[in-house]
Amino acid sequence: MNLEAFQNRVLPVKNKLFRFALKFLGNEEEAKDIVQEVFIRVWNGREQMNEVQNWEAWCMRITRNLSLDRIRSVTRRHTQPIEDGYHVLQETLSPHESTELQESMNRIDQFIAALPEKQRQVIHLRDVEGYSYNEICEILELDMNQVKVNLFRARNAVREKLIKINAYGL
Amino acid sequence: MRMDSKNMEDLLKKYWACETTLEEEKELREYFGGNSIPDQWKDTAALFRYFEETKKKSLNDLAFESQVIHKIHAPKKSKLVRLAYNTMRIAAGLGVVLAATWFIRNEIRETTPQAVVDTYDDPKLAFEETKKALLMISKSFGTAEEQARKINMFNEAQEAIQREN
Repeated sequence: MNLEAFQNRVLPVKNKLFRFALKFLGNEEEAKDIVQEVFIRVWNGREQMNEVQNWEAWCMRITRNLSLDRIRSVTRRHTQPIEDGYHVLQETLSPHESTELQESMNRIDQFIAALPEKQRQVIHLRDVEGYSYNEICEILELDMNQVKVNLFRARNAVREKLIKINAYGL
Repeated sequence: MRMDSKNMEDLLKKYWACETTLEEEKELREYFGGNSIPDQWKDTAALFRYFEETKKKSLNDLAFESQVIHKIHAPKKSKLVRLAYNTMRIAAGLGVVLAATWFIRNEIRETTPQAVVDTYDDPKLAFEETKKALLMISKSFGTAEEQARKINMFNEAQEAIQREN
Protein backbone atom coordinates (compact mmCIF):
# COMPACT_ATOMS: atom_id res chain seq x y z
CA MET A 1 0.00 0.00 0.00
CA ASN A 2 1.40 3.36 -0.96
CA LEU A 3 0.81 6.71 0.69
CA GLU A 4 -1.87 7.68 -1.79
CA ALA A 5 -3.95 4.57 -1.12
CA PHE A 6 -3.46 5.13 2.60
CA GLN A 7 -4.75 8.69 2.31
CA ASN A 8 -7.69 7.75 0.15
CA ARG A 9 -8.80 4.54 1.79
CA VAL A 10 -7.60 4.44 5.39
CA LEU A 11 -7.64 8.03 6.61
CA PRO A 12 -11.33 8.61 5.79
CA VAL A 13 -12.36 6.15 8.51
CA LYS A 14 -10.91 8.53 11.08
CA ASN A 15 -14.34 9.67 12.29
CA LYS A 16 -15.54 6.13 12.97
CA LEU A 17 -12.36 5.39 14.88
CA PHE A 18 -12.64 8.69 16.72
CA ARG A 19 -16.23 8.05 17.83
CA PHE A 20 -15.32 4.56 18.95
CA ALA A 21 -12.29 5.72 20.95
CA LEU A 22 -14.42 8.49 22.41
CA LYS A 23 -16.89 5.88 23.68
CA PHE A 24 -14.11 4.34 25.73
CA LEU A 25 -12.21 7.39 26.82
CA GLY A 26 -14.82 10.13 26.96
CA ASN A 27 -12.17 12.68 26.14
CA GLU A 28 -11.70 14.13 22.68
CA GLU A 29 -7.98 14.86 22.94
CA GLU A 30 -7.22 11.35 24.14
CA ALA A 31 -9.46 9.87 21.47
CA LYS A 32 -7.60 11.88 18.83
CA ASP A 33 -4.28 10.60 20.14
CA ILE A 34 -5.54 7.05 19.91
CA VAL A 35 -6.74 7.51 16.31
CA GLN A 36 -3.36 8.94 15.37
CA GLU A 37 -1.59 5.99 16.93
CA VAL A 38 -3.92 3.57 15.13
CA PHE A 39 -3.02 5.13 11.78
CA ILE A 40 0.68 4.96 12.51
CA ARG A 41 0.34 1.29 13.43
CA VAL A 42 -1.69 0.58 10.33
CA TRP A 43 0.93 2.30 8.17
CA ASN A 44 3.76 0.39 9.80
CA GLY A 45 1.85 -2.86 9.38
CA ARG A 46 0.69 -2.11 5.86
CA GLU A 47 2.45 -5.20 4.50
CA GLN A 48 0.09 -7.33 6.56
CA MET A 49 -2.93 -5.47 5.30
CA ASN A 50 -3.19 -7.58 2.18
CA GLU A 51 -3.83 -10.58 4.39
CA VAL A 52 -6.51 -8.79 6.41
CA GLN A 53 -9.92 -9.39 4.92
CA ASN A 54 -11.70 -6.47 6.48
CA TRP A 55 -9.16 -3.78 7.20
CA GLU A 56 -11.75 -1.35 8.56
CA ALA A 57 -12.75 -3.84 11.24
CA TRP A 58 -9.05 -4.37 11.82
CA CYS A 59 -8.57 -0.63 12.40
CA MET A 60 -11.54 -0.61 14.76
CA ARG A 61 -10.05 -3.51 16.70
CA ILE A 62 -6.73 -1.70 17.06
CA THR A 63 -8.67 1.36 18.25
CA ARG A 64 -10.43 -0.73 20.84
CA ASN A 65 -7.24 -2.38 22.07
CA LEU A 66 -5.31 0.87 22.28
CA SER A 67 -8.21 2.57 24.06
CA LEU A 68 -8.41 -0.25 26.60
CA ASP A 69 -4.62 -0.07 27.09
CA ARG A 70 -4.92 3.65 27.67
CA ILE A 71 -7.69 3.17 30.22
CA ARG A 72 -5.60 0.60 32.06
CA SER A 73 -2.31 2.50 31.95
CA VAL A 74 -3.50 5.93 32.98
CA THR A 75 -4.75 6.53 36.46
CA ARG A 76 -8.01 7.97 35.41
CA ARG A 77 -10.14 9.87 37.86
CA HIS A 78 -13.29 9.15 35.90
CA THR A 79 -14.23 8.15 32.39
CA GLN A 80 -16.88 10.87 32.28
CA PRO A 81 -19.03 9.22 29.62
CA ILE A 82 -22.18 11.02 30.69
CA GLU A 83 -20.67 14.43 30.52
CA ASP A 84 -19.12 13.74 27.16
CA GLY A 85 -22.34 12.39 25.70
CA TYR A 86 -23.90 15.64 26.67
CA HIS A 87 -21.27 17.57 24.71
CA VAL A 88 -21.88 15.40 21.67
CA LEU A 89 -25.47 16.40 21.66
CA GLN A 90 -24.83 20.04 22.32
CA GLU A 91 -22.53 20.39 19.37
CA THR A 92 -24.56 18.46 16.85
CA LEU A 93 -28.09 19.60 17.51
CA SER A 94 -29.51 22.11 15.11
CA PRO A 95 -31.39 25.03 16.64
CA HIS A 96 -34.65 23.94 15.02
CA GLU A 97 -34.96 20.80 17.04
CA SER A 98 -37.37 21.02 19.86
CA THR A 99 -36.13 21.13 23.44
CA GLU A 100 -38.35 18.18 24.19
CA LEU A 101 -36.50 16.02 21.69
CA GLN A 102 -33.22 17.34 22.96
CA GLU A 103 -34.13 16.37 26.50
CA SER A 104 -35.11 12.85 25.45
CA MET A 105 -31.85 12.47 23.61
CA ASN A 106 -29.86 13.68 26.57
CA ARG A 107 -31.63 11.11 28.70
CA ILE A 108 -30.87 8.38 26.15
CA ASP A 109 -27.24 9.40 26.19
CA GLN A 110 -27.20 8.92 29.92
CA PHE A 111 -28.94 5.54 29.65
CA ILE A 112 -26.39 4.29 27.14
CA ALA A 113 -23.48 5.67 29.11
CA ALA A 114 -24.72 3.77 32.13
CA LEU A 115 -24.68 0.42 30.28
CA PRO A 116 -21.95 -2.14 30.96
CA GLU A 117 -18.94 -1.63 28.71
CA LYS A 118 -19.55 -4.51 26.31
CA GLN A 119 -23.20 -3.58 25.80
CA ARG A 120 -22.20 -0.01 25.18
CA GLN A 121 -19.64 -1.07 22.57
CA VAL A 122 -22.04 -3.42 20.78
CA ILE A 123 -24.93 -0.97 20.60
CA HIS A 124 -22.56 1.74 19.35
CA LEU A 125 -21.09 -0.46 16.62
CA ARG A 126 -24.47 -1.74 15.47
CA ASP A 127 -26.88 1.16 15.87
CA VAL A 128 -24.58 4.11 15.37
CA GLU A 129 -21.98 2.79 12.95
CA GLY A 130 -24.13 0.14 11.27
CA TYR A 131 -21.66 -2.76 11.34
CA SER A 132 -22.79 -6.30 10.58
CA TYR A 133 -22.78 -8.91 13.34
CA ASN A 134 -19.75 -10.57 11.77
CA GLU A 135 -17.83 -7.32 11.78
CA ILE A 136 -18.74 -6.67 15.40
CA CYS A 137 -17.49 -10.16 16.29
CA GLU A 138 -14.22 -9.35 14.57
CA ILE A 139 -13.82 -5.92 16.17
CA LEU A 140 -14.66 -6.97 19.71
CA GLU A 141 -13.18 -10.48 19.44
CA LEU A 142 -16.40 -11.98 20.71
CA ASP A 143 -18.45 -14.85 19.31
CA MET A 144 -21.76 -14.26 17.58
CA ASN A 145 -23.80 -15.37 20.54
CA GLN A 146 -22.13 -12.94 22.92
CA VAL A 147 -22.58 -10.10 20.46
CA LYS A 148 -26.28 -10.81 20.09
CA VAL A 149 -26.86 -11.24 23.80
CA ASN A 150 -25.09 -7.96 24.56
CA LEU A 151 -26.99 -6.12 21.86
CA PHE A 152 -30.30 -7.55 23.08
CA ARG A 153 -29.57 -6.53 26.65
CA ALA A 154 -28.40 -3.07 25.62
CA ARG A 155 -31.40 -2.30 23.44
CA ASN A 156 -33.87 -3.58 25.97
CA ALA A 157 -32.26 -1.81 28.90
CA VAL A 158 -32.61 1.45 27.03
CA ARG A 159 -36.17 0.60 26.01
CA GLU A 160 -37.20 -0.24 29.55
CA LYS A 161 -35.84 3.01 30.82
CA LEU A 162 -37.69 4.89 28.10
CA ILE A 163 -40.93 3.14 29.06
CA LYS A 164 -40.34 3.94 32.73
CA ILE A 165 -39.78 7.59 31.97
CA ASN A 166 -43.00 7.61 29.99
CA ALA A 167 -44.92 5.91 32.77
CA TYR A 168 -43.70 8.43 35.32
CA GLY A 169 -44.26 11.21 32.88
CA LEU A 170 -47.89 10.25 32.38
CA MET B 1 -40.64 4.86 1.54
CA ARG B 2 -43.95 5.08 3.34
CA MET B 3 -44.76 2.67 6.04
CA ASP B 4 -48.04 2.14 7.80
CA SER B 5 -48.03 1.92 11.54
CA LYS B 6 -48.71 -1.82 11.55
CA ASN B 7 -45.62 -2.50 9.53
CA MET B 8 -43.67 -0.17 11.72
CA GLU B 9 -44.84 -1.90 14.86
CA ASP B 10 -43.76 -5.26 13.49
CA LEU B 11 -40.43 -3.88 12.46
CA LEU B 12 -39.91 -2.35 15.90
CA LYS B 13 -40.75 -5.66 17.56
CA LYS B 14 -38.12 -7.31 15.41
CA TYR B 15 -35.72 -4.56 16.29
CA TRP B 16 -36.13 -5.04 20.05
CA ALA B 17 -35.68 -8.77 19.55
CA CYS B 18 -32.46 -8.10 17.59
CA GLU B 19 -33.83 -9.81 14.53
CA THR B 20 -33.71 -6.90 12.11
CA THR B 21 -31.23 -6.74 9.27
CA LEU B 22 -28.99 -3.72 8.71
CA GLU B 23 -31.27 -2.72 5.87
CA GLU B 24 -34.34 -2.78 8.12
CA GLU B 25 -32.55 -0.80 10.79
CA LYS B 26 -31.73 1.80 8.17
CA GLU B 27 -35.43 1.98 7.30
CA LEU B 28 -36.25 2.55 10.96
CA ARG B 29 -33.72 5.34 11.22
CA GLU B 30 -35.06 6.97 8.09
CA TYR B 31 -38.64 6.72 9.28
CA PHE B 32 -37.94 8.10 12.75
CA GLY B 33 -35.72 10.78 11.35
CA GLY B 34 -38.70 12.18 9.45
CA ASN B 35 -41.53 14.38 10.62
CA SER B 36 -45.02 13.51 11.86
CA ILE B 37 -44.10 10.67 14.18
CA PRO B 38 -47.07 9.42 16.23
CA ASP B 39 -46.93 10.35 19.90
CA GLN B 40 -46.61 6.74 21.04
CA TRP B 41 -43.19 6.52 19.37
CA LYS B 42 -41.79 9.85 20.35
CA ASP B 43 -39.19 8.32 22.64
CA THR B 44 -38.30 5.61 20.15
CA ALA B 45 -37.86 8.33 17.56
CA ALA B 46 -35.57 10.15 19.97
CA LEU B 47 -33.50 6.97 20.31
CA PHE B 48 -33.02 6.64 16.54
CA ARG B 49 -32.30 10.33 16.23
CA TYR B 50 -29.78 9.94 18.97
CA PHE B 51 -28.00 7.26 16.90
CA GLU B 52 -28.04 9.51 13.86
CA GLU B 53 -26.76 12.51 15.76
CA THR B 54 -24.00 10.50 17.40
CA LYS B 55 -22.86 9.39 13.98
CA LYS B 56 -22.44 13.01 12.95
CA LYS B 57 -19.79 13.51 15.57
CA SER B 58 -16.51 13.93 13.75
CA LEU B 59 -12.90 14.60 14.41
CA ASN B 60 -12.92 18.35 14.02
CA ASP B 61 -9.30 18.98 13.29
CA LEU B 62 -8.26 20.05 9.82
CA ALA B 63 -4.61 19.54 10.60
CA PHE B 64 -5.15 15.98 11.79
CA GLU B 65 -4.47 14.20 8.50
CA SER B 66 -1.36 16.21 7.76
CA GLN B 67 -0.14 15.49 11.29
CA VAL B 68 -0.58 11.77 10.67
CA ILE B 69 1.22 11.99 7.32
CA HIS B 70 4.00 13.93 9.01
CA LYS B 71 4.35 11.29 11.72
CA ILE B 72 4.36 8.55 9.14
CA HIS B 73 7.27 10.24 7.41
CA ALA B 74 9.15 10.72 10.65
CA PRO B 75 10.78 7.25 10.63
CA LYS B 76 12.25 8.07 7.20
CA LYS B 77 13.97 11.07 8.73
CA SER B 78 15.45 8.94 11.44
CA LYS B 79 16.73 6.64 8.69
CA LEU B 80 18.55 9.61 7.22
CA VAL B 81 19.97 10.43 10.62
CA ARG B 82 21.12 6.85 10.96
CA LEU B 83 22.78 7.03 7.53
CA ALA B 84 24.59 10.24 8.50
CA TYR B 85 25.65 8.64 11.77
CA ASN B 86 27.06 5.57 9.99
CA THR B 87 28.89 7.74 7.47
CA MET B 88 30.45 9.67 10.29
CA ARG B 89 31.53 6.44 11.95
CA ILE B 90 33.21 5.31 8.75
CA ALA B 91 34.83 8.73 8.36
CA ALA B 92 36.15 8.55 11.92
CA GLY B 93 37.62 5.10 11.20
CA LEU B 94 39.34 6.37 8.06
CA GLY B 95 40.70 9.33 10.06
CA VAL B 96 42.31 7.01 12.57
CA VAL B 97 43.92 4.94 9.79
CA LEU B 98 45.26 8.08 8.05
CA ALA B 99 46.66 9.51 11.27
CA ALA B 100 48.34 6.21 12.07
CA THR B 101 49.87 6.06 8.56
CA TRP B 102 51.21 9.58 8.93
CA PHE B 103 52.84 8.86 12.26
CA ILE B 104 54.38 5.62 11.04
CA ARG B 105 55.76 7.41 7.98
CA ASN B 106 57.36 10.05 10.18
CA GLU B 107 58.84 7.36 12.39
CA ILE B 108 60.37 5.56 9.37
CA ARG B 109 61.85 8.82 8.08
CA GLU B 110 63.50 9.58 11.37
CA THR B 111 65.18 6.17 11.56
CA THR B 112 66.47 6.17 7.93
CA PRO B 113 70.19 7.34 7.52
CA GLN B 114 70.63 10.97 6.47
CA ALA B 115 72.58 10.10 3.26
CA VAL B 116 69.51 8.50 1.71
CA VAL B 117 67.39 11.47 2.46
CA ASP B 118 67.36 14.43 0.09
CA THR B 119 69.80 17.13 1.13
CA TYR B 120 68.46 20.17 -0.66
CA ASP B 121 64.98 21.69 -0.64
CA ASP B 122 65.73 24.46 -3.15
CA PRO B 123 66.04 23.10 -6.74
CA LYS B 124 68.43 25.91 -7.77
CA LEU B 125 70.80 25.13 -4.97
CA ALA B 126 70.57 21.44 -5.76
CA PHE B 127 71.38 22.15 -9.41
CA GLU B 128 74.45 24.21 -8.45
CA GLU B 129 75.68 21.52 -6.13
CA THR B 130 75.16 18.84 -8.77
CA LYS B 131 77.02 20.94 -11.30
CA LYS B 132 79.89 21.37 -8.86
CA ALA B 133 80.02 17.64 -8.25
CA LEU B 134 79.95 16.84 -11.99
CA LEU B 135 82.70 19.43 -12.69
CA MET B 136 84.82 17.83 -9.99
CA ILE B 137 84.32 14.43 -11.62
CA SER B 138 85.15 15.76 -15.10
CA LYS B 139 88.27 17.46 -13.72
CA SER B 140 89.39 14.13 -12.31
CA PHE B 141 88.65 12.54 -15.68
CA GLY B 142 90.92 15.15 -17.33
CA THR B 143 93.81 14.27 -15.00
CA ALA B 144 93.27 10.58 -15.63
CA GLU B 145 93.35 11.08 -19.40
CA GLU B 146 96.77 12.77 -19.16
CA GLN B 147 98.17 9.83 -17.25
CA ALA B 148 96.56 7.42 -19.70
CA ARG B 149 98.25 9.16 -22.64
CA LYS B 150 101.61 8.45 -21.04
CA ILE B 151 100.75 4.76 -20.88
CA ASN B 152 99.67 4.95 -24.49
CA MET B 153 103.24 5.90 -25.47
CA PHE B 154 104.38 2.45 -24.33
CA ASN B 155 101.71 0.82 -26.43
CA GLU B 156 102.62 2.79 -29.51
CA ALA B 157 106.34 1.97 -29.06
CA GLN B 158 105.52 -1.70 -28.64
CA GLU B 159 103.43 -1.72 -31.81
CA ALA B 160 106.24 0.00 -33.76
CA ILE B 161 108.79 -2.69 -32.70
CA GLN B 162 106.42 -5.47 -33.70
CA ARG B 163 105.91 -3.94 -37.15
CA GLU B 164 109.69 -3.71 -37.72
CA ASN B 165 110.10 -7.32 -36.91
